[in-house]
Amino acid sequence: MEALRNALDFSDFPHTDLLVAGILAALLVAFPLVPYSSFAMATMIQFLMFSIYGMGWNTIGGYGGQVDLGKAQYVGIGAYTTAVMLTRWEVPFWVSMPVGMGLAVGWSFIIGYPLFKLKGHYFAIATIATSLVLKDLFEVWDFVGAARGLHISPVKYPPPDFLRLIFKEDVYYYYFLLAFFFLGILVINWFRHSRLGFQLRAIRDNEDVARSLGINVHWAKIKTYALATAFVSAVGSFHAVYIKNIEPEDTMSLDISVLIALMAMLGGAGSLWGPIIGAGILIPLKSYLKEWLGAKAGLIGIDLILYAVIIMLVSAVEPRGIWGLLDRLRKTRSR
Amino acid sequence: MALLVVENLTKDFGGLRANDGICFGVEEGELVGLIGPNGAGKTTLFHCISGHYPVTSGKIFFSGEDITGLQAHEVARRGLARTFQVYAAVGDLTVQEYVMVGAFLRTRSRARAKARAQWILGEMGLMDRAGRLLTEIPVPAQKLVTMAMAVATEPRLLLLDEVAAGLNPQEVEELKDTIRHVHKDLGITVILIEHVMALVMDISHRVIVLDAGKKIAEGLPAQIAADPLVIKAYLGERYAQTEG
Amino acid sequence: MAIEVLVASLVAGLLIGMVLALVALGLTIIFGVMDIVNFAHGEFLMVGMYTGLLVAQGAGMEPLLSLPMAALVGFVLGWLCYFLFVKFLLRGPMVAQLLGTFGLMLFLRNLALLLFGSEDRAIHHGLLVGKSLSLGMGVSVPATKLAAAVLAVSAFGAVWLLINRTKVGKALQATALNAQGARYMGIPTDRMNGLAWGIGGATVTIAGALLVNFWAVNPYVGLLFTMLAFTIVALGGFGSVPGAFLAGLVVGLITEIPGLWDSISLGLGWRWMMDVPMTSFKYTWVYLAYFVIMLARPKGLFGWKR
Repeated sequence: MEALRNALDFSDFPHTDLLVAGILAALLVAFPLVPYSSFAMATMIQFLMFSIYGMGWNTIGGYGGQVDLGKAQYVGIGAYTTAVMLTRWEVPFWVSMPVGMGLAVGWSFIIGYPLFKLKGHYFAIATIATSLVLKDLFEVWDFVGAARGLHISPVKYPPPDFLRLIFKEDVYYYYFLLAFFFLGILVINWFRHSRLGFQLRAIRDNEDVARSLGINVHWAKIKTYALATAFVSAVGSFHAVYIKNIEPEDTMSLDISVLIALMAMLGGAGSLWGPIIGAGILIPLKSYLKEWLGAKAGLIGIDLILYAVIIMLVSAVEPRGIWGLLDRLRKTRSR
Repeated sequence: MALLVVENLTKDFGGLRANDGICFGVEEGELVGLIGPNGAGKTTLFHCISGHYPVTSGKIFFSGEDITGLQAHEVARRGLARTFQVYAAVGDLTVQEYVMVGAFLRTRSRARAKARAQWILGEMGLMDRAGRLLTEIPVPAQKLVTMAMAVATEPRLLLLDEVAAGLNPQEVEELKDTIRHVHKDLGITVILIEHVMALVMDISHRVIVLDAGKKIAEGLPAQIAADPLVIKAYLGERYAQTEG
Repeated sequence: MAIEVLVASLVAGLLIGMVLALVALGLTIIFGVMDIVNFAHGEFLMVGMYTGLLVAQGAGMEPLLSLPMAALVGFVLGWLCYFLFVKFLLRGPMVAQLLGTFGLMLFLRNLALLLFGSEDRAIHHGLLVGKSLSLGMGVSVPATKLAAAVLAVSAFGAVWLLINRTKVGKALQATALNAQGARYMGIPTDRMNGLAWGIGGATVTIAGALLVNFWAVNPYVGLLFTMLAFTIVALGGFGSVPGAFLAGLVVGLITEIPGLWDSISLGLGWRWMMDVPMTSFKYTWVYLAYFVIMLARPKGLFGWKR
């Protein structure tokens, strides 16, 4: 089918880019084969998770230009669906994840319809508002454990449990996530070649012109928002079985929503590799800053200060992100 | 049956009446010019017809169907396309990709959209710019691209909004040929808003004149050029003085 | 009994609403003049709160007199933030602006964490602490809240006068309406922007200094008020000063709904009502109201077309 061909079509990237991507992909696959610390592995898993979050966000936020700062609610829906279905009814991951996606996507259509009637800053704030409302709801809802959250005990499901995705060693999680990661890249590649992807980019450019070309702007935005949600929710489900401890403050906070957007923006919103680059820089940075600086007594918060400064620098100096920087460099070199 | 019928169209912006009871029709196959001094309400009329502005009163019929009040994308889907005067091009789309967006109205397939886009770019002499960003090409070419985008949607009626603005006489001649080509060989009915008289008087079958929101004249180019009402509205317009 | 409860809620809502209006004022001015939304707004409030706290504790000054100090700190902070950072954000797309000010928020929040630690701190002394004013009908109001509200309204009025009756204010308005046009008339856009940030910073730090008299401060207090301020500004219309005032009152009243609900449910003795954990949802109602109102009036109650 053409969709499949589109997903596999990377031909518009220069060969050097593809070579580098290929090498990095190989390194990612080979990573667990070299000796690694559990800290490094945890960081790598976080990197993969946030890459996928960022890739999802990038569809509506990057290509579409609609700044959505409320994605954390879908992390929550995905995570909680899996956690609840597992702890109450022992449902395997492979069932609970699609169910979570279904619920998340359903919810995204319901609030997407009114949300996208708003524009610009009003829209951004509305996305924050809806995410916070859902978080507050989860914090008092006993069915999902309210503020205490839910805990998945690996004792109940002796690892390795491939059905429920409960493992003792992180390396299993790593490879599953890596598979999702590669799949995600293919889906985004399909997206940017698809009619919807082109429509979104036209919308970002000038909505009136897009309308004059027959694009139903409202509906295109909603569809893309739902796609982004599917990504986020899937990783949210994964988050539940990996961390095994979820609570609203951790999974659904504004910080998470902004972090997701940040991945894409730092790396280059609106480009395929952007979110991955962004995550590749921000996640290790955040982890290692915390590790080296955060623990020092009396210096609590300094890691986040540095982190904040980096965010501020990038947004002021090169809002198009690392990819934008590379692009700029390439252009000046070819002149 | 006329392709487009505008019946008593009125558009108010608060206290300002931009279009006042405008009536006209356009037959399939015509090339109609729409002229008038600045502020006459020409672009507003286009916005109303294409569905970008809601009308205050009156009706618009396209191919027999009442399209008054339809949303802009619905109008475009029915085969009524247009260009805009100003494009705030922010994005990263190339010329070819822009035209593909237009083509995507009629197909889901990227391959087919690409093929159609390339064909149109070829027809309009833009192939050599296909891979460039819209913001990087000279203004006359940008105007052609906006036309190409609209043509890609396979319209029956095309509204051109001042596509000759800012062009030198040589470029205007080339544009004339392109418009004629689009009109005759691609079989698209055209209405064009223009200030460049050399263009609009030369290629139009018929000309409609607006002034201060009202239609003040309608007829063959030669008639219009000699019409005292039109000359008065355009007081100082060199073409009317030298030719009329 | 029911009337008293209603009136008490109304009064409380209005009072807090006036303070909230002041909080939101700075945000709407900044947006009006240069179209940027400041995520760090709540952190400016926090700075104001800490300033008020320190002046009261350190200098032993009556807390309510710390306002000029807070205003100065806020003005300088806003001015510096503009010239050292925000100025460069203006060139980029909205996503970069939002994330840039988010970075600023993280920066200020964690700086506070570093300097002050994470515990709650509050003011415990002062002329009005512990005193209440009785308004009849069995309704009494804590003197600190009343004073804060009165001062907030005064500050609001002062800023309104500044913007509408002074030359500088008119220049600000001109820049807000059309920056380029204003520049052609000789109004220095950069300085106007810096001024907007200065005034915006000053108003919100004053609000903070007022707030700390009855609201404990810690480094994390900012986010809630950022969200409330955003909601108020969006409801009142970005850039509208009177809108901010009215919307502030509305939001203040909305925050009283849970308390009212609880009182009513207790009064009526209806179990089902009492089981709804309304107070945890205090601010949720504000967010919901935002959503509903924005859909009905997408430009806010008074905003100009943005």
